[in-house]
Amino acid sequence: MTAILEVDNLVKKYGDFEAVGGVSFSVEQGEVFGLLGPNGAGKTQTISMLTGVIQPTAGTARIGGHDIRAQMDQVKKINGLVPQDLALYPTLSARANLNFFGRIYGLRGKELKERVEDVLRIVALTDRADQAVDKYSGGMKRRVNIAAGLIHHPKLFFLDEPTVGVDPQSRNHIFESVLRLNQERGMSIVYTSHYMEEVELLCNRVAIIDQGKIIAMDTVKNLVAMLGGGVIYVGLPRVDDEILAGLANLPAVAEALLVPQPANPPAGEQQEPETAERPLVSTEKLVKVVAKQNQQAIVNVINYLNERSLNLTSLEILEPNLETVFLHLTGKKLRE
Amino acid sequence: MTALSIAYKDLQILFKNRGLILQLFLMPIIFTAIMSGALGSLGSDEEKDTRIPLAVVNLDGSEASQQFLSGLDAAGGVRVKIYDQAEAQALLDESEIMRIVTIPANFSANLGSNQPTTVQILNHKDAPIQETEAVRLVVEGVAQAMTLESQILFSLQQMGEMNANAPPEYQQAFSTESLQAQARAQFEAARSQELVTIAQRIPAQKTEEERQAEGNPRLEDVTVPGFAVLFVFMTAQTTALSIYNEKKVGSFRRLLAAPISKATLLVGKMLPNMITGILQIVVIFAFGVWGMQALGLKPDSLGNDFLAFTLTLLLLVLCSTALGILIAAIARTEGQIGGLSTLFLWGLGFLGGCFMPLFLLERFLKQLPMIVPHYWAKRALESLLIRGVSLTDIALELAMLSGFTALFFAIGLWKFDFD
Repeated sequence: MTAILEVDNLVKKYGDFEAVGGVSFSVEQGEVFGLLGPNGAGKTQTISMLTGVIQPTAGTARIGGHDIRAQMDQVKKINGLVPQDLALYPTLSARANLNFFGRIYGLRGKELKERVEDVLRIVALTDRADQAVDKYSGGMKRRVNIAAGLIHHPKLFFLDEPTVGVDPQSRNHIFESVLRLNQERGMSIVYTSHYMEEVELLCNRVAIIDQGKIIAMDTVKNLVAMLGGGVIYVGLPRVDDEILAGLANLPAVAEALLVPQPANPPAGEQQEPETAERPLVSTEKLVKVVAKQNQQAIVNVINYLNERSLNLTSLEILEPNLETVFLHLTGKKLRE
Repeated sequence: MTALSIAYKDLQILFKNRGLILQLFLMPIIFTAIMSGALGSLGSDEEKDTRIPLAVVNLDGSEASQQFLSGLDAAGGVRVKIYDQAEAQALLDESEIMRIVTIPANFSANLGSNQPTTVQILNHKDAPIQETEAVRLVVEGVAQAMTLESQILFSLQQMGEMNANAPPEYQQAFSTESLQAQARAQFEAARSQELVTIAQRIPAQKTEEERQAEGNPRLEDVTVPGFAVLFVFMTAQTTALSIYNEKKVGSFRRLLAAPISKATLLVGKMLPNMITGILQIVVIFAFGVWGMQALGLKPDSLGNDFLAFTLTLLLLVLCSTALGILIAAIARTEGQIGGLSTLFLWGLGFLGGCFMPLFLLERFLKQLPMIVPHYWAKRALESLLIRGVSLTDIALELAMLSGFTALFFAIGLWKFDFD
């Protein structure tokens, strides 16, 4: 397989603030690639640079063999973009919106008409195509938003958080559309989201992005495998090196780590502790146990603590998934 | 073609917004009709006394001259006001009065001795011909009456003296028949030999067009040009809001991601403003010409130079478009667009004379209105439509309007944030 997108150390700065801090990745032809990260992680900024909406501060990328800095005109013909916002004209009908975006891409006459009908079929809105968009439900608007990005049959399709504010039924419809475009039409897709379920369902490979940097990138399976059988957070009244070593050496346990606790802020400068973003919030000591096999590890950990008369102050078991991977890597949750 | 597609889409959106359509097309008509009617009635109130003002310099001051003045007043048609000679001349020079009637110092003495005397009428170069002729007829009528009266009285006085001194054998010469014959002869003499003659001086008159070119327009004549300028500049707000909304809903990002240049995108956003502005002009001036007539108001003229008229309007539309880009570039929120639009469009519209004749505005604000484009646009239109001038006569106005357009574009494009 050849790469349709190769991103090389892409940077976007606004003054001293670095929104994207040198990301590099590639997307193969026919691949669905996920950019997973919380809001403000730099996903949209990355996509904006790749689609020509904003200029990179440094670095570059090649799309379909064209450099985005030197040949953006060619790149734009290959790209399709579904922005996070509902980038539609609400008083116009879906058909009028699609006609307009088609004309922007140089489509005219019969070809334009056929393309409009085609994308309306893809998003299953043919019956209501002549209704003004502002009369649609949120999910239907999202579907028109996707159709507008497809009108010129792009080879590389960027979907930026396409399911924000969408009801479950429309969300499923969007998933089906994305999968069909990829499987039936061979379209390469870059899909950003902060919903790990979507990325797990749709993407072949995932880059986890936080604070403008890619902190992990692999297939979903391999990323989840980093955690083995899952993660167990154990709250204890006291912890020492002996206890940590004992936990780490238990069968079905990969490792045991003391989660760093924030220092008490000075009076008058009370801040929300970092642990407030963690599953456990009020414990004296927090131990993260990475399991090879979750159920067996839980039994072993509890038995070990009971034998030493160590009372649990809290216990949280996290299944092995991308959410847990993100938490494992950043210490933060993927928040909505 | 892409720019046209953007423009077509924006026009589709615009024409679905009924409130905006009313604001852009109906409001100018309502404003024009109301203001034309109101200002027209204001003008007619001022002219209720339809008599022609007549400045008189009485160098004689005798009973006879007073009688002459009473005759002028009694004749009707003129409103006599007495001035001294220097004051009257100054007012004539300043075009405050249109004519001076001067009663000479020897008026009474000459009449008393049955010698001719001449009343001078000095007219301003811009005095309306009809008024000049009417005044001449009135003054001549009074003069003829005084001539007749004076000659009859003089004749009777002579006959009385002759009768008193004549011997008895000649007394029959003053019989009733003889007196009647003498009176008839004096009537004839009064007709053929005027004692009070009228000397009228009329400077070379300007043509009606030239007179209009320098005169102040009637109040109601300036409403159509004024509101055309005001409401065409209002489309600037539509442009700014259209760009803001594109950015707000995210479609601007989608357009930036499409294979079109930023220049094409901007031209596409400007074209609807220009088309709307041109449509507004057509509607406003069509109302000015035909609608006003239908409402019983004085219809407007489109001037004598249609090319200059068209060029002025195109520049006006372009300037409004540039102002729209400027507002879109410097405003960050819908509230800021509203605030800036109110300032730029209504505030500067007031300052630029959209609501009143420029000659009234200039009396009050002197040169201050010249700092806004509205002033130059309206001045060009007033000159073209009301005074009937041609393209070369409004070169300054068009140059200033072009300058404002270039300035707005330059700042707007410099500050425009495509990101």
